[in-house]
Amino acid sequence: MQTKDLDTANDWLEQALRADGAEHRSNYIGDDGFAGRVMARLPQPATLPAWRRPAIALLWLCVAAAAVLGVPGLFDDAFRGAVALLVGHRIGVVDVIALLVIPSAAAGGMLLYAARVA
Amino acid sequence: MSPPPVSDAALIARVVVSDDRHAFGELVRRHQSAVRATLRKLTSGNTALADDLAQETFLLAYRNLKSFRQEARFSTWLYRIAYNAFLADTRKMKELPLPEDADTLAPGEVAEGRSVARSAAMSIDLERAMAVLSNAERAAIVQCYHNDLTHEEAAGVLGCPIGTVKTHILRAKEKLKARLGAWAPEH
Repeated sequence: MQTKDLDTANDWLEQALRADGAEHRSNYIGDDGFAGRVMARLPQPATLPAWRRPAIALLWLCVAAAAVLGVPGLFDDAFRGAVALLVGHRIGVVDVIALLVIPSAAAGGMLLYAARVA
Repeated sequence: MSPPPVSDAALIARVVVSDDRHAFGELVRRHQSAVRATLRKLTSGNTALADDLAQETFLLAYRNLKSFRQEARFSTWLYRIAYNAFLADTRKMKELPLPEDADTLAPGEVAEGRSVARSAAMSIDLERAMAVLSNAERAAIVQCYHNDLTHEEAAGVLGCPIGTVKTHILRAKEKLKARLGAWAPEH
């Protein structure tokens, strides 16, 4: 302790207090289940219900199925258009990579978003 | 070779970021002795009450760990919570009863002769004398002498200016001198 401002010279009480303080710090109190009692009183962790993650995955599946069933012509036209576009042009390595990476990134992004929401 | 112990800061980060219960358990185990010992001093040796307040202290620390800014040591922050818990309990219970023999203490009746026994008796008398101090005076003594905090740190724990801490200590020492007068060396 910084007690320079106090008159401590030859102060028997000061010495007694310091000795008592040193003894206090050296006396370790054993845990004896104390930590366990504290941990038992902690609030329950905020976990999501077990059914929520599969329910959200199912919801995404339903949305995708509804989109395919609801507007079948759109996906058919888009697929045919993509094939016609590819057939009409020479396909390079960059095109193949883009074809693989872009849908993968989109799917991955959707999955990540779904996982975070879940 | 055993791995180096994880720092308090690292354990706190684990609790705050991922609600790591094991990390918090380790913090409790590390600091329970100091917190319980401090509360035993503040409650004048009421072990059961001190342990109840110590549990309350750690629960409050867990709930408020996000607000711990690491400007002070974690132990100092715990002392502050413990002191506030003690004050809240004291307000609830009004005043803690003083010991029945409030007169000047005789110098350790059991301590005639040997220095070790004399020292132990002095310690017992000091413990009893501490009970007559006001809560603020006792807390200032406990933080500065028993927890070895600086006046500045003690002021942070007690939530008062440094000058007030010094005043509490001076007043406490005057009271202790009066009650432990028989222990003073003869001139």
